[in-house]
Amino acid sequence: MLNIFGTPKRFCDGVQRRTFLKIGALGMGGLALPGILRAEAAPGGRKSHKSIIMIYLPGGPPHQDSFDLKLDAPSEIRGEFKPISTNVPGLQICEHLPLMARMMDKVTVIRSMADARDEHTDFMCLTGRTHTNEPPGGWPSFGSLIAKIQGGVDPAVPAFMGLEPRMQHRPYNASGPGYLGVSQRSFRPEGDCKTDMVLNNLTLERLADRRALLRSFDQLRRDVDATGLMSGLDTFNEQAFGMMTSSKLLRALDFKQEDPKLIERYGPGDAKIHGDAAPMLNEQFLVARRLVEAGARAVTVAYGFWDYHGNNFKNARADLPLLDQGLSALIQDLHDRGLDQDVSVVVWGEFGRSPVINKDGGRDHWPRVSCALLAGGGMKHGQVIGATDRLGGEPTERPVKFGEVFATLYHNLGLDVAKVTVPDLTGRPQYLVPDGCVPMKELVG
Amino acid sequence: MKRFFRTARLVLVALMPLLRSAEPATNPPPPVAVTNLTIDYGVVPPAGQVPLLLLKGDAARQQLLATADCADGRIRDLTDAVRWEANPAGVVKVTASGLVTPIADGDAVLSAHGSNATTARLTVRVRDAKIAAPMNFANQVVPIFTKLGCNAGGCHGKSGGQNGFQLSLLGFEPAEDMEHLVKESRGRRLVPAAPDQSLLLLKAAGILPHGGGKRMEPDSRDYQVIRRWIAQRMPAGKPEDPTLSRLEIFPKERTMDAGGAQQLIVTAHYTDGSTEDVTAGAQYDSNDKDIAQTDNQGRVRIVGRAGDVAVMVRYQTQVAVFRANIPLGIAVTTLPPVRNFIDTHVFNKLKTVGLPPSAVCDDATFIRRVTLDVAGRLPSPEETRRFLADDATGKRDRLVDQLLAAPDYAEYFANKWSSLLRNRRGAESHARANIGFYNWIRDSLQENKPYNQFVAEILTATGDMDVNPPATWYRQVKDTTSQLEDTAQLFMATRMKCAQCHHHPFEKWSQDDYFRFGAFFSQVGRKGGEQPGDEAIYHKRGVALGLNKKTNQKVKPAALGEKPLTLPPDTDPREALAEWLGATNNPFLAKALVNRYWKHFFNRGLVEPEDDIRDTNPPSNPELFAALARHFIDQGFDLKDLVRTITLSSTYQLSSIPNEFNAQDKQYYSRYYPKRLTAEVLLDAINEVSQSPTTFAGTQEGTRAVQLPDNSFNATSYFLTVFGRPDATSSCECERSQDASLAQSLHLLNSKDIQAKLSADGGRAARLAGDLELREDAKIGEVYYTAFSRAPKPDEVATAIQHIAKRGGAAREEKEQHLKRREAYEDILWALMSSKEFLFNH
Repeated sequence: MLNIFGTPKRFCDGVQRRTFLKIGALGMGGLALPGILRAEAAPGGRKSHKSIIMIYLPGGPPHQDSFDLKLDAPSEIRGEFKPISTNVPGLQICEHLPLMARMMDKVTVIRSMADARDEHTDFMCLTGRTHTNEPPGGWPSFGSLIAKIQGGVDPAVPAFMGLEPRMQHRPYNASGPGYLGVSQRSFRPEGDCKTDMVLNNLTLERLADRRALLRSFDQLRRDVDATGLMSGLDTFNEQAFGMMTSSKLLRALDFKQEDPKLIERYGPGDAKIHGDAAPMLNEQFLVARRLVEAGARAVTVAYGFWDYHGNNFKNARADLPLLDQGLSALIQDLHDRGLDQDVSVVVWGEFGRSPVINKDGGRDHWPRVSCALLAGGGMKHGQVIGATDRLGGEPTERPVKFGEVFATLYHNLGLDVAKVTVPDLTGRPQYLVPDGCVPMKELVG
Repeated sequence: MKRFFRTARLVLVALMPLLRSAEPATNPPPPVAVTNLTIDYGVVPPAGQVPLLLLKGDAARQQLLATADCADGRIRDLTDAVRWEANPAGVVKVTASGLVTPIADGDAVLSAHGSNATTARLTVRVRDAKIAAPMNFANQVVPIFTKLGCNAGGCHGKSGGQNGFQLSLLGFEPAEDMEHLVKESRGRRLVPAAPDQSLLLLKAAGILPHGGGKRMEPDSRDYQVIRRWIAQRMPAGKPEDPTLSRLEIFPKERTMDAGGAQQLIVTAHYTDGSTEDVTAGAQYDSNDKDIAQTDNQGRVRIVGRAGDVAVMVRYQTQVAVFRANIPLGIAVTTLPPVRNFIDTHVFNKLKTVGLPPSAVCDDATFIRRVTLDVAGRLPSPEETRRFLADDATGKRDRLVDQLLAAPDYAEYFANKWSSLLRNRRGAESHARANIGFYNWIRDSLQENKPYNQFVAEILTATGDMDVNPPATWYRQVKDTTSQLEDTAQLFMATRMKCAQCHHHPFEKWSQDDYFRFGAFFSQVGRKGGEQPGDEAIYHKRGVALGLNKKTNQKVKPAALGEKPLTLPPDTDPREALAEWLGATNNPFLAKALVNRYWKHFFNRGLVEPEDDIRDTNPPSNPELFAALARHFIDQGFDLKDLVRTITLSSTYQLSSIPNEFNAQDKQYYSRYYPKRLTAEVLLDAINEVSQSPTTFAGTQEGTRAVQLPDNSFNATSYFLTVFGRPDATSSCECERSQDASLAQSLHLLNSKDIQAKLSADGGRAARLAGDLELREDAKIGEVYYTAFSRAPKPDEVATAIQHIAKRGGAAREEKEQHLKRREAYEDILWALMSSKEFLFNH
């Protein structure tokens, strides 16, 4: 559990800038008031609550060069990579995912994501929706919905955490709280508020003085407010002070508190920003796990840049092993800690890539089909859902909608997508997923 | 460990039945003696006629109530507490909860035996007990789908249905349901020769796998009704069969005890005059589940301590409401002076409920409160000092008049309306029109244009947006659908959206009503304006007609609840709409506006949410609501008068500090409910306290945040975004977010932005530190008057001075001392700005 108070010592004796970024990685945003109040009322938390970690792969990774190799395709389509066997008999994946190959019994590959749009945006991956028939304010991100409906588990930890940076290609950051309003936005580090987390030209001594002053000046009786807004505000203030002062908080969020062997298992990834999207910070996978343990219900990570219009194989050869290491470590870690029944993991991008390799050795956008990978969440794993044709160009079996995956994820959180609604700004009750999307029987039936 | 828990759970499960039977299964005994007991069956017989309950046909049933008159003059429900009995036996069966069903033809006497030897009797007559009446699909079968949730929006009721089987949403289209059931899927859903083998029953009873799970038991009444309907070869019913005309609820209203319960009886009235008990078939929904909860058999249970609550009852297309009030019952001995009719109605309610109000607030609280609420800014220290020193009577009235005369009032309310009227900058080229529209709103408010005229000028706007600013409304409110929905939600507090695709579930509005209302906008034409980026709105010559998308029929324009109009092609139909809406007898416009403004001042509408007024969502104080709307109309839709009337009432001027009883009050206005300052007002207030203004690109120097004409400044102001300034994407006030969040706290407590304001060279902290003439306590007085609109208390002055001494004391040099003093003032300003007394209007 996070402790938001602490001595300033460790802060002063040199927490590295990198560590700060990790705090930053905890992000800015909002935990709505009702949520925090419910959180206070909720018993325990820790490990007993259900949560989702979403790893978004901006740009759209090549499905046929990762989890759906097309060996029967002609060479100008098939590509350079060879398949390897996995611990699930009959299931083969790309040779550059050797660690995942050893744990395919713990995951499910959906090879037939079928309703993607040809748009470079995180919108569909985070909302499960397109912009058609969008209500005023817009469709909310899944984490915003969860925060709104279920609130926080621990008052010190926002229900919805966004670890992704503000990406240069703006549509990669397109999803937001939508009609739920700014208070349900994910708590994110980047942007204007990144600096709010670090003391600005203020010594700790002075901050302590200020707090003392505030305590003596802040004399308005809290019971003048029966809605809970005032006590919520006090809670948030305490949290904020904790962020500014508490090395305990830093420690709790600092992945380096983990066993070095475990950190090593996750791997370093690559801190450089890739393309116009995100870095490949494998430690964020670890931070995500620490966050859901601490009480977050939804954590999003943006990882790398997969828009391989050129040099598809060179890029994939470099990127896949990083993902392989981080993801396999995360999934193993969740199992080792007994979190695999509670934490659902989903990994996907906005679309797949074209069967034909273009003149630059790249693959272009291919919304007709793409892959998704699911783990944990108490789902049935060790299976492949759906299939594509010989060229990897069209789904031939069990086309799956983004909304169906979301229906499954919400189901894992205990939300009945047939019943739960949230009113939009016009008062219309909105379901969590598009019409016709129900939890996938293959996974939870 | 794990095993231990499992065992423990097993034990618990085993104990459950015991625990349950230990709970009181019946109503608590009334706190006072019962003087009389009666049996009610939902319909009151004509005067002089001896009550007689007739049960006709084998499917008849009737919920009964045992109602007690008590010694304290109150009426209480004892349905579950009495012992029910029927004599002779063999005619009817009556359950412990008062449900009576026929056994054989004949007469019997039903008795309810209460405590104190009180007994009530009712004669019941059974006819045709063995005769099955011919069935009607819409009246008997469809309501079962609705009750069981089969046709809900999350299941088969959604467009496209569920797993290939579709029902109309909430059963509003029985004819379509017939088609889906009988004809689709090669008829395999229903098997008249072997009804139990029908897919419909096999799935609903969970005998075959069903995505929706088991919805009914094979021996249940619902199952038997559907089974019988299938066995009768699925009759739709005869064309001359009666249809539902209205619902009647018994009782309609009750004063209830905390912890009490009330069984309801819901009677369906049909077009042929017949009635039917549909208590078990109706759906129940409490509008405040903290006060009352319902079960699906029509039992209302009070779980809160005190308050007013409404239970919406739905059956087929009809809705009705049961209202309960749970008094707190404290003697209200002293009340503030009655300043106008608002106080009369609020205080009446407080007396009925037994809830003593807080006292009237002091002058310092009042000037801060009313200046924030009317002018959207803090009062200046000079204004506050002058007001506090004024000894003449009527100074609060004079203050309100001054505030309403000053431009701040119009600017503040224009800020509100600009967002609701979706004055949104979609492109840079819209800026001219955005600013023009904002100015038009502000000027209209300043000159106090009658509200109905204000609305009419928007709705009927034609011409170039640059020339006729209100036409700008049509820029973002683009198509007929949003024009009619915004008009309804914004100006009429009626949410029509549901009725676009199906009959409104909580209202009387049908799809016909929806498309007829939309027909008023059918002739809105749009073309390019004089300047790039401009648009012009005009009346497309032609007869106004809408298209009902369900029936594909052309429909004439009709206002809600009115007859269709035939309008000549040269008449702009919007003129007729505006005339109807602005008339003194219009049932929507005034109510919607007074509720919206009431919420502005009291933080809670008389109806909540403020733009969802309907019969099934009743106001917390109906008399006040009606009187306020009447007053607004009688005064000629005078907005300034409305603001004056509200703010001059003692009710508005009550202290927010709760007394012993009213801390939890959220609906009776027994005290002022504090609200967080809005994003714009808060930013201005921070600028004022720090004396370091925020500049907004492209505006005149000195422009305050409340004066910003549109949403385009949000993108560059993190402060405005994070504190929830709306983006004008909808006509709902709810788009403005007033929730607290961690991001807000961090920004307020620790941002460079705020820190820079505090430490600005020209700022207040620098000035106060540099002023060697003024005494420290006078400086502290100045900052307190600025931030809190009051004098500091001695201990507050002491704390502040101590802090200045602490920081400055260590420094030797004059220059360093100044720096430390300046820091000390920054700290003091920071602490004031971070306190709730500053962040809230209280």
